[in-house]
Amino acid sequence: MLNKSLFLLLLVVCFAACETNDDPIKNTSVSIDFSHRFNQQAVTSNNFNALQYTNGFGTTLSLTRLRYLISEISFTNQQGIKTLVKDYQLIDVGENTGMLIDGITLPEGTYSLNMRFGFSQTANTSSIYPDLNAASWNVPQMLGGGYHYMQMEGRFLDLNNQESIYAYHTISAVQNPGPDNIREDPSIALTLGEINITQDAIQINITMDIDQWFENPNLWDLNLLNGMLMGNYTAQKLMQENGQTVFSLQTN
Amino acid sequence: MDKLYFLFKPTRVINWMYMVQKAPFILFFIFLTLSCDIDDSQHQRYEPIPVNIAVPAVFSQLLPEPQIPSDNPLTQQGVLLGRALFFERRLSADNSLSCAGCHRPNEGFSDQRRYSVGIDGVAGFRNSMPIVNIAWNTKNKFNWDGSANSLEEQVLEPVTNEIEMHNTWANVVATLQNDANYLAKFEAAFGSPTISKELAAKALSQFIRTLVSGNSKFDRYLLGQTTLTPLEEEGLAVFLDENRGDCFHCHGSPSNPLWTDNDFHNNGLDENFIDLGLGDITGDPAQFGLFKSPSLRNLAFTAPYMHDGRFQTLDQVIDHYSEGLVYSPTIDPLMKTVSQGGVQLSLQDKAALKAFLLSLSDPSLANNPAYQNPN
Repeated sequence: MLNKSLFLLLLVVCFAACETNDDPIKNTSVSIDFSHRFNQQAVTSNNFNALQYTNGFGTTLSLTRLRYLISEISFTNQQGIKTLVKDYQLIDVGENTGMLIDGITLPEGTYSLNMRFGFSQTANTSSIYPDLNAASWNVPQMLGGGYHYMQMEGRFLDLNNQESIYAYHTISAVQNPGPDNIREDPSIALTLGEINITQDAIQINITMDIDQWFENPNLWDLNLLNGMLMGNYTAQKLMQENGQTVFSLQTN
Repeated sequence: MDKLYFLFKPTRVINWMYMVQKAPFILFFIFLTLSCDIDDSQHQRYEPIPVNIAVPAVFSQLLPEPQIPSDNPLTQQGVLLGRALFFERRLSADNSLSCAGCHRPNEGFSDQRRYSVGIDGVAGFRNSMPIVNIAWNTKNKFNWDGSANSLEEQVLEPVTNEIEMHNTWANVVATLQNDANYLAKFEAAFGSPTISKELAAKALSQFIRTLVSGNSKFDRYLLGQTTLTPLEEEGLAVFLDENRGDCFHCHGSPSNPLWTDNDFHNNGLDENFIDLGLGDITGDPAQFGLFKSPSLRNLAFTAPYMHDGRFQTLDQVIDHYSEGLVYSPTIDPLMKTVSQGGVQLSLQDKAALKAFLLSLSDPSLANNPAYQNPN
């Protein structure tokens, strides 16, 4: 009787164990949405063109265009296995394009989300992305080549309270613009934190706080730095420093 | 007797009577079968042959595939029909004006008159826009003011425009429907002898998408087949230099051989607008005075320049960006030097820029046999 009981017990344990192993790993549908704020106020294309924002320097400004590039979008699980979900994404806020990446499927688990603002030095090779070429996203060779990271443009009220224009473009930082330029990579590796993916579907929101481009840590005076910034090595380095706190992660 | 009995044997008589009774049905069945055969042979004749756009080598290297709508793929028959329609003067009310009348192959598929003149002798108010490399317009906004959201939509408008062809599509369809040649062409292209404006628009769009220009001196330079003169090389440098020409943001670059961003800008022509451009379509004051960037290809053939053809020469265009910019509330922020009136090019820079711009012209476009009048 004891032998039979032990046998039955063993059988039950075996079945229980088998049930656990047979449990399929649940996949979750993941999407990434990019949203934008200025001083905590949501910004969409509907808010463009109006002089309604005040930057950290105290300058009133508007947005007329905001396009930027995110690359190397990846999830890394706790075992260190990295899943690259998109090589790059061009986001155009004014045109409402590129603001959602969907169709991502990941097994349940905890992941760290990483991406890069702009291209890395090696990925930032001139002319190799046909869709970005057609979008005129290129940077001339004399300015280091490759592609833009961001084009933010608009108007501002200058020191005389007159409307003026700005083109805040971020690219590689180039010393000695021209045929013998020396290029540095000011793209920003974004470690956006951990995400627990357990539901059937999850939308991850990446927020760009536009105001940060103008104030943290470098207060930006549009009266002095409003155009011709692509070949301005110092300006590009300042932009890179300000870009460190621009992006953050939210989950719904 | 035996024979008679054989023929009129009771059971056989019943069979004959049965056959006679059923004859109409059998005949009808045979007719149906024949009809089906006829229909099938018609369907077999409707086999439009898919064709691809002849993509220039430079485009293959640098640009995405041409954008063809899934509901209007290119076929040999569709393109041939579209070509016939493009050169067809009977699209206009008095049979005098075709699409090619204002989009002339030897003028870069534009019009060297400042304003094209319609059938009633009335001039328009914008310069004819060149219509090459349209298949790479991924923004799907057509005309200087973005008033059409697809090529198929765009080609419908000139026929009914009172200044242009001043016709109705009902008239056009009736005209074409009475022409056996067109009936055959439509049937070959779309499998239907019934002509409609939608099918005409599809055929025209197919042909226009085949109008490709990618054989300029600069294209050959990119392919390593020729060299630029020192002046042209210097002009390219001016074009790409943010502190000199700064042309590349709106007008492409060696990486974007379309030489346009297909987007809309206010490039500092006027303080006050007579023509609102994109803003006239959207009603958005922030878009008043914005017009589509034209491609810089074929400038040697497409004078005059700007949406209203106000500049007769390339020198005038370059002078505008150098010293002639004026501020207005919707000026594009890429016109960074508007406060100084422009980018202030030296005479040497201007000459170099002009030489480079002319290297983007493609003389083979006008002579391409596939683009000639077939009628």
